[in-house]
Amino acid sequence: MVFADLFFIYFFLPICLLCYMLAKKLETKNTVLIIFSLIFYAWGEPLWILLLLFSSVFNWFIGLMIEKYRETSSAKLAVAAGISIDILLLIIFKYSAFIVENINAVSGASIPVPQITLPIGISFYTFQAISYVLDCYWETVKVQHQYKKFLLYLSLFPQLIAGPIVRYSVVEDEIDNRSITMNDLCEGALRVIVGLAKKVIVANNLWVIVDAFFGKDITGLSVLGTWYTVIAYSLYVYFDFSGYSDIAIGLGRMFGFHFDENFTHPFACKTIAEFWQRWHISLGSFFRDYLLYVPIFGKNRKYLSLFLVWFCTGVWHGAAWNFILWGLYFGFFIFFEQKLGKKRIKKWPIWWKHIYSKLVIIIGFGIFYFEDLSQLGQFFVNISGISMIANGAPFTDPMTFSSFRNNLFLIAAAIIASLPVLPKLKSYFLESRNDAVYAVGRIGSVTICIGLLIVLSIMLVDATNNVFLYWRF
Amino acid sequence: MNSESFYDDSLNEIPANEKRATSLRDRKAEKRSLLETRLSMISLTAMALFLLLAALFLLVFPRSEKSQIEKRELAKFPSFSLESYFSGAFTSGVTTFYDDTVPYRDNFKNLSNEIKNVFGMKLFSASGSANVSSKGDDEDAENTESSATPVPTSTGNILEGVASRNMALPAASAADEPYQRDYTAEENGSLEWVNNLLMVNWDGHWRCMEPFGGGSGSDYVDALNELQSLVSQNVTIWSMPAPTSSAIYTPKNAIDYVADQGKCFDEIAAKLNPGIRSVNVVDVMRKHTEENIYCRTDHHWQPRGAYYAARTFAEAADVPFTDISSYTSGYNEGFVGTMYGFSQDSRLLNDPEDFVYYVPSAKYQAYYYDSSFNYQFSDDLFAEVDVANSYLMFMGGDSWVVKVDTEVKNGRKLLVVKDSFGNAEIPYYTSSFEQIYVVDVREFHRNLVNFIGTTGVTDVLFTMSAYSVVGDNASNITNLIHQDADSTIVDEHPTGNTASSTPAPDNTTSDNSASSDPDVHDDDPQA
Repeated sequence: MVFADLFFIYFFLPICLLCYMLAKKLETKNTVLIIFSLIFYAWGEPLWILLLLFSSVFNWFIGLMIEKYRETSSAKLAVAAGISIDILLLIIFKYSAFIVENINAVSGASIPVPQITLPIGISFYTFQAISYVLDCYWETVKVQHQYKKFLLYLSLFPQLIAGPIVRYSVVEDEIDNRSITMNDLCEGALRVIVGLAKKVIVANNLWVIVDAFFGKDITGLSVLGTWYTVIAYSLYVYFDFSGYSDIAIGLGRMFGFHFDENFTHPFACKTIAEFWQRWHISLGSFFRDYLLYVPIFGKNRKYLSLFLVWFCTGVWHGAAWNFILWGLYFGFFIFFEQKLGKKRIKKWPIWWKHIYSKLVIIIGFGIFYFEDLSQLGQFFVNISGISMIANGAPFTDPMTFSSFRNNLFLIAAAIIASLPVLPKLKSYFLESRNDAVYAVGRIGSVTICIGLLIVLSIMLVDATNNVFLYWRF
Repeated sequence: MNSESFYDDSLNEIPANEKRATSLRDRKAEKRSLLETRLSMISLTAMALFLLLAALFLLVFPRSEKSQIEKRELAKFPSFSLESYFSGAFTSGVTTFYDDTVPYRDNFKNLSNEIKNVFGMKLFSASGSANVSSKGDDEDAENTESSATPVPTSTGNILEGVASRNMALPAASAADEPYQRDYTAEENGSLEWVNNLLMVNWDGHWRCMEPFGGGSGSDYVDALNELQSLVSQNVTIWSMPAPTSSAIYTPKNAIDYVADQGKCFDEIAAKLNPGIRSVNVVDVMRKHTEENIYCRTDHHWQPRGAYYAARTFAEAADVPFTDISSYTSGYNEGFVGTMYGFSQDSRLLNDPEDFVYYVPSAKYQAYYYDSSFNYQFSDDLFAEVDVANSYLMFMGGDSWVVKVDTEVKNGRKLLVVKDSFGNAEIPYYTSSFEQIYVVDVREFHRNLVNFIGTTGVTDVLFTMSAYSVVGDNASNITNLIHQDADSTIVDEHPTGNTASSTPAPDNTTSDNSASSDPDVHDDDPQA
């Protein structure tokens, strides 16, 4: 099941909320959440829900083993076994086809390529499980003795299939101890609507632009057209993914959980390092905490582990070379910024910092888009303007102008909404000491949100194909 | 000790001031928190109420079953089986059903498309703002009128007496005609690209077109060449791809983005075996650009466009052909075709067109078979349809295999292998061939070579759109040639020459004068 879908919003969610509210004890509420989470997952993966259940039993058991054999080598063995099996499952289900294809390509062998469809959300819940196992081992969290509670953590449907990667430590206490206030419920609901609006009104319609230009061979596409589309695509990915995170955080809030933020206006960044502190924070911090400081390469090889982290970041996003390239590309700029030193970067004029970071990010999203490497090459030829000589491509074309004119307000709104403008407006009203201003802010925001919900629901009637980018993770 | 007590005292004493402030702050905070809770309650009530009402609306109101915009039946509730459950088909089917059959679906879709208008500056969002579009509007004002008028007037006369039942020399009439307005030579100021489709405003009316992407058509060429090697030498195979509107109405400033269909068809013709005869009608269409030959809101041609293609084929095939002036015309008003669904552009919805059709006066009998060639019933060639499904009027769409017996006695029998474009041509062949068989390249389920043998046709015409010729539908021809090759095909309902021994059982010989055909004229108050 996906969130941006009438069936979810007007059928699944109301029933789930109703059952949740009717349950009095926290214990019962947890049971309700588990049941609905499993239905939610099984709706899309009636078979591979077994894999999720296996993963939950297995990692829960590893946690128990770690505790039992604490301070002995058996605990180390348990951690190693846990992580290895988790990663192995991920490799089998996500990367086996890619690996076999490349072995075949390099060695000339013809091993049959396994046809495994990627179980939804496996990248997210596997990483959550790994974080739990490592946290147990490092004693940053208490081992969960009750399987049911661990299952709740791993399968909690708001964050199950497209993140954020919620650490066990974040929800550890709230599993046993949470109260749901009116304000939580209200804030959560508003957040869900904002997330849905980002996805349905903005992202889906930006995708129409992207598909129109990048959905076919881009040889001959004009220079300006390539720039225009890759910018639309960058915005699309942001609104799609951060919208999803908003929905997850909002739903979590409605059930009494407080997840960490996953995006904090990434396009407002001034450096690439800052971008990654603002973009998909839960993934960045996962690699930082569990991989970067693990001394795999020894003490003096920090750059090697930096590139390992970025290699993994790339690979995590998809089983294709362009994703690896994309990860290493960002690794290179992080490395570059580290080498240059913070002080020297600080001296850059602010406009240059913005141009530099936005250029790197936008071209990065081009790498992210084109899984077909020959098209990726063509993308570079187009965007650099070489295409004007190499393919005789025009600098601009009527399609681009037409599309731009037809989507002018959408794009402008998307750019404004991607920058920290609206939160300022929000805090003006909601942090006002004047009760009247505050009340206007609250009533205004709920009115706007219901309006957005109406519009997005109407658009969902229209959306026969609802491409969901983060589906494949 | 002393100092400690001093601190203790001061802790007890100093707050005297602060206390008031704190209690004031507390009261303020309390008041704010009360306000906060109240506002949250109001907000939650509003949202919950909306959610509940919308959920009830979706649950209780009757579900839509058809979409006029998308021209399709909407999803049905899936049937449950363990297999369908574990494959995920059941659950996704339930979601699709729920999402697809929203009550008043088409109205919501239209509303959604209206909302999207505010995403940017759409040119001339109302119809009829012709004066803003590019040059030549004033001079063409009259033509605008005539293209919107249901019954074609002036241009019909040009052809008078050319065809009729007399044989015309191949392509002679076409060659005689002058080109009408060459749209491809004109810039269009209101050109827009919407969802990868080309929107242009010619003479105050929007026309939405798929920009043809070109292609080698190698599957098509291979299939036709192979078929020719498998059928008797006495059977002539014809290839007449149907151009789509972008071949005719693409303005000069978009021509670089639209592949040349005329050239594409010529290249395909060059690769076909010498015995296969090709007819390229792109040029013929260009001679009638100011007539209503292509739908503006649909991807099909108008029946008049099909007429010119059929006429060109008849001339090439050396068979008689009746001029369109002797047909009875009717029209469906307010037709909005598939291009609205594709483009989701409300300008098309607000600028509907007339679907003008021509009913032959020649007498014929049409027999309908299912896709495996089992006889079903006898009926007219024109079916009763909603205005929104106007193009389905020809034989009710693509699903039937149709046999037509005519009163022509020239020993020529035609098999038409077609996609939906071919449907509109069929009525015009009723005065050209003794017997006509019609099969759809996607729907037919018998072996094509055997079928040609069984029916004893003398001519096989492949007439499908440019997209089918270069796209996936072409590989269906290969399938048709190979599938079920050992089967014997029998016509359970032999008629015509082949059935001289069997009296034709049902014979409501269609007298196809327009007035006697209630099916056709339901939507047509003025006919």
